[in-house]
Amino acid sequence: MTDWILFIPELYTLAVGGVFFFFCLGRGRPGRDYAAAMMLSAAGLVLTVCTAGFEGLVFEGVYQVDLYSQVFKALIYSGFFLTVCLCADLSGVDKARHSEFYLLLCLSTLAMMLLASSVHLLTIYISLEISSYSLYVLVYFRRGYPKGAAPAFQYFVFGAASSAVMLFGFALVYGAFGTAHMAELMGQVPARINEPVVFTGFVLSLSGFFFKLAVFPFHLWAPDAYEAAPHQVSAYIATASKVAAIAILVRMIALTGGQSDRVAWVLIFVSVASMTAGNLAAMAQKDIKRLLAFSSVAHAGYVMIGILSANAMGYTGAIFYGLSLMVMKFTCFMVVVKAADGGRNIKTDALAGLHQRAPVLALALLLALFGLAGIPPTIGFTAKLLVFKAAMEQGLLWLVIIAMLNVVISLYYYLGVLKAAYFTAPASQPRAIAVSLPFRLLALAMIVFMVAGGLYPRYMTALAGAMTAGLLP
Amino acid sequence: MQMHAAHFPFLSTILLICVSGLALVLVLPKNSNAAVKWVSAACSAATLALSVFLFAAYDRAAGGMQFVERLDWIPSMGISYLNGIDGFAAPMLLLTGIVFFTGVVSMWELDFRVKEFFALFILLVIGVYGMFMALDLFFIFVWFDVSLLPMYLLIVIWGSSAREYGAMKLTLYLLFGSALILPGIIYLAAVSGLETFSLPALVENASFSGFEQKTAFLLFYIGFGILAGVWPFHSWSPTGHVAAPTAVSMLHAGVLMKIGAFGILRVGMFLCPEGWMYWSPMMAVLAVIGIVYGVMVGLRQTDLKFVIGYSSVSHMGIVGLGFATMTVDGINGAVFQMFAHGVMTALFFSAVGHIYDRTHTREIGELGGLSAVMPAASSYFVIAALAGIGVPCLASFWAELLVFIAAFRVYPALAMISVGVLVVNALFMLRVVRNTCFGPLNPRWAHLKDMSFAMGMPRAVLAAAIVGFGLMPFLMYDLIQTASVPLIHALGPAVGLAGPESVETLFTELMSVWP
Repeated sequence: MTDWILFIPELYTLAVGGVFFFFCLGRGRPGRDYAAAMMLSAAGLVLTVCTAGFEGLVFEGVYQVDLYSQVFKALIYSGFFLTVCLCADLSGVDKARHSEFYLLLCLSTLAMMLLASSVHLLTIYISLEISSYSLYVLVYFRRGYPKGAAPAFQYFVFGAASSAVMLFGFALVYGAFGTAHMAELMGQVPARINEPVVFTGFVLSLSGFFFKLAVFPFHLWAPDAYEAAPHQVSAYIATASKVAAIAILVRMIALTGGQSDRVAWVLIFVSVASMTAGNLAAMAQKDIKRLLAFSSVAHAGYVMIGILSANAMGYTGAIFYGLSLMVMKFTCFMVVVKAADGGRNIKTDALAGLHQRAPVLALALLLALFGLAGIPPTIGFTAKLLVFKAAMEQGLLWLVIIAMLNVVISLYYYLGVLKAAYFTAPASQPRAIAVSLPFRLLALAMIVFMVAGGLYPRYMTALAGAMTAGLLP
Repeated sequence: MQMHAAHFPFLSTILLICVSGLALVLVLPKNSNAAVKWVSAACSAATLALSVFLFAAYDRAAGGMQFVERLDWIPSMGISYLNGIDGFAAPMLLLTGIVFFTGVVSMWELDFRVKEFFALFILLVIGVYGMFMALDLFFIFVWFDVSLLPMYLLIVIWGSSAREYGAMKLTLYLLFGSALILPGIIYLAAVSGLETFSLPALVENASFSGFEQKTAFLLFYIGFGILAGVWPFHSWSPTGHVAAPTAVSMLHAGVLMKIGAFGILRVGMFLCPEGWMYWSPMMAVLAVIGIVYGVMVGLRQTDLKFVIGYSSVSHMGIVGLGFATMTVDGINGAVFQMFAHGVMTALFFSAVGHIYDRTHTREIGELGGLSAVMPAASSYFVIAALAGIGVPCLASFWAELLVFIAAFRVYPALAMISVGVLVVNALFMLRVVRNTCFGPLNPRWAHLKDMSFAMGMPRAVLAAAIVGFGLMPFLMYDLIQTASVPLIHALGPAVGLAGPESVETLFTELMSVWP
């Protein structure tokens, strides 16, 4: 008998999806949709946080509820909630489609929550696909985008191809072990990981997650999709979606028990390639969203350092990194949404004079950018410290030095954005940005969180550390 | 390492005063410029008073780490909030206090985005204070970066010539340095197997292999050395100093470059003595190249700030040379030089800043005869120049003397070259002084007024420090001695260099003529 109590957050999210499905049937009423989305997602966030202590197996062992999955669900839900917070001005999306927008966002969130708990290759595949399909459609939701469906289509083709490769990998793994249950694989994989079929199957099966996290060489969709999507969708992809990808990737790598040098070398390669390719490409970007997309690629590389270290510190670091990315990236997108008129794309120069137009946003942006560059005392520094410490425990001094040099490269373009916000004089007298009180509070909350995560991360790292308990042999 | 716990957390109080000052500045309404300045001045005066107190209250007989305060921070990673000062840190705190206070007062005439300027300036000082008192590697790194972080905006917004270029170059160079320091720190913490970032604990309990020490020391030497202006990583420094506004130049050349040298000392030499020994010949050569290069390039400059910028490179080379000798005297001289150069260069930038604010030029050729119209301003400039040359009875004389006494014993050829070059530098600086302050007065400046008493006050404080420690060098020397002797003795008989004791007596004899 399945314990349905454990499944409550997912059922609730499904119900929220049902509400928006019902809304879709009628005439679009953006105000009502927004209010409903705010309330329902806030309630859902509270619900997921309250259920963080749940533990157990559901659906005959293919769905595991534990601290790891529940905290990730709370994180994913925060991503959803924060994205909805940005939707007060959803002018990038056609008015008639707002209900569908929230419906798809909700379904994608549901799928990612399922992903966080999946411990069977098949459930992993299905939830990954559901979450991606909603996003393919959402990217195309942009009203009057000149490039039309091309970026969304490209996103879809990349996603379909990588999930096909992943499915092939799953098939090989299943063929080798005769089981797709992670609990059973966990005992067997480490001993046989260096067999060609297992190694090939395992590495191929990672491709789907690499796509999700935008790791080199599966990152090419990111800049176009970020650029083309409505800002809120880009924010969602950069936050909730990345967190979900980290959740599942950590689970997958934990299967090997960190016993395989070969897998480690594959991961080292994608890690170095991601951060280098991401940072070098980001330097050339003028459009902020493209810049943030490439910076996501670079950050995927840093996250991989924690994951490939495959020790307690590494997993802790990767989880903490997911959290920090969510906060910092969200803050950047918050500024983009506010600074862009009518949901248009903006170049870096458009931030000129931000420190006068909206001081609170400028300060938040400053901290977010320093955080992304890994400068203390911000949350991004703690995240980097954790993953670097993990790599150092594996004796990878050179990898850490490469990563730090990449950090210096990244600083160049982050400073470019900062210079625009704080120094460049605007060409014409731009309008002041109206920041409502709740929004100001949200920005302040982000500021506090980013600084607290850098200065006093004690409890956050302890939580992340506790989550890794079930992953280690 | 002896640790004496504090009865009262003086060190955290300094940080707390700065943090409250920063918070107060941030909440003040937008246009209250005067209030912002008064808050900053009060905050800086309070920390100056505390650092003077600590300098005096440090128990020289007991030695070791004093005023130690400790708080668990991230226990799972062995990170603790651990502060303490020894004979190296106490002079640096005093230096920071002096330069902070005089810097704030020097910027009294600022009227562009005042609130933001002082907020960033205090933030920068928090990092500097923290760095000098921190004994946990995690916090050392955090404070180090906090002190770099506001620099970019300070230069880009309030800077002068080529500010965007200067600011970007400075920031990228210094962050490149921290990109080497962080791996070094984590590397040592990881290979020690001790699950701690505490520097005293690592010094006491960890036994690093020769390879580990050499690797880590190199990372620290380059990483911190960039900030200390070690040749060939110095080139951010003249451009950065020229671009920065007066108080930022003062703080940057006066204190921030010392953070770099202090980092090499505190992290590199304390943790990796074998690495220090292994790399010391390279350090000596690079230091002397820095001395020679700084002087030679300085000769060609016509912009006053560039002249000081390059002289900073050569003066920091003297610090590096002192470190490289691995003797008590060398270390004493180097730390003394860090203090003396900090005060001297702050006075220099302060004086030049004042002249620039009035004349809007820093070209030596366009100035001339300023002492006729601005006697007070010129005299501060002259004092700074004389201190830079190392005229006896000014603080930097003793510092340089100590370094060269040590260097002549250990690296005679290199010491010879450096001293020769410094003589050339002296001639050149005297010519600069003549061309700016004396000679015929350029009629364009005939209308200028001398500096008011209030504006002269910060310069007077700096000049007093230079002269005071020049007349009573033992105040500083005895203090530094309490830290440098244990450091060198800890190296043990492995150091095959001539015993430092004979040199100590030489200096002590010199001092004994003092009644």
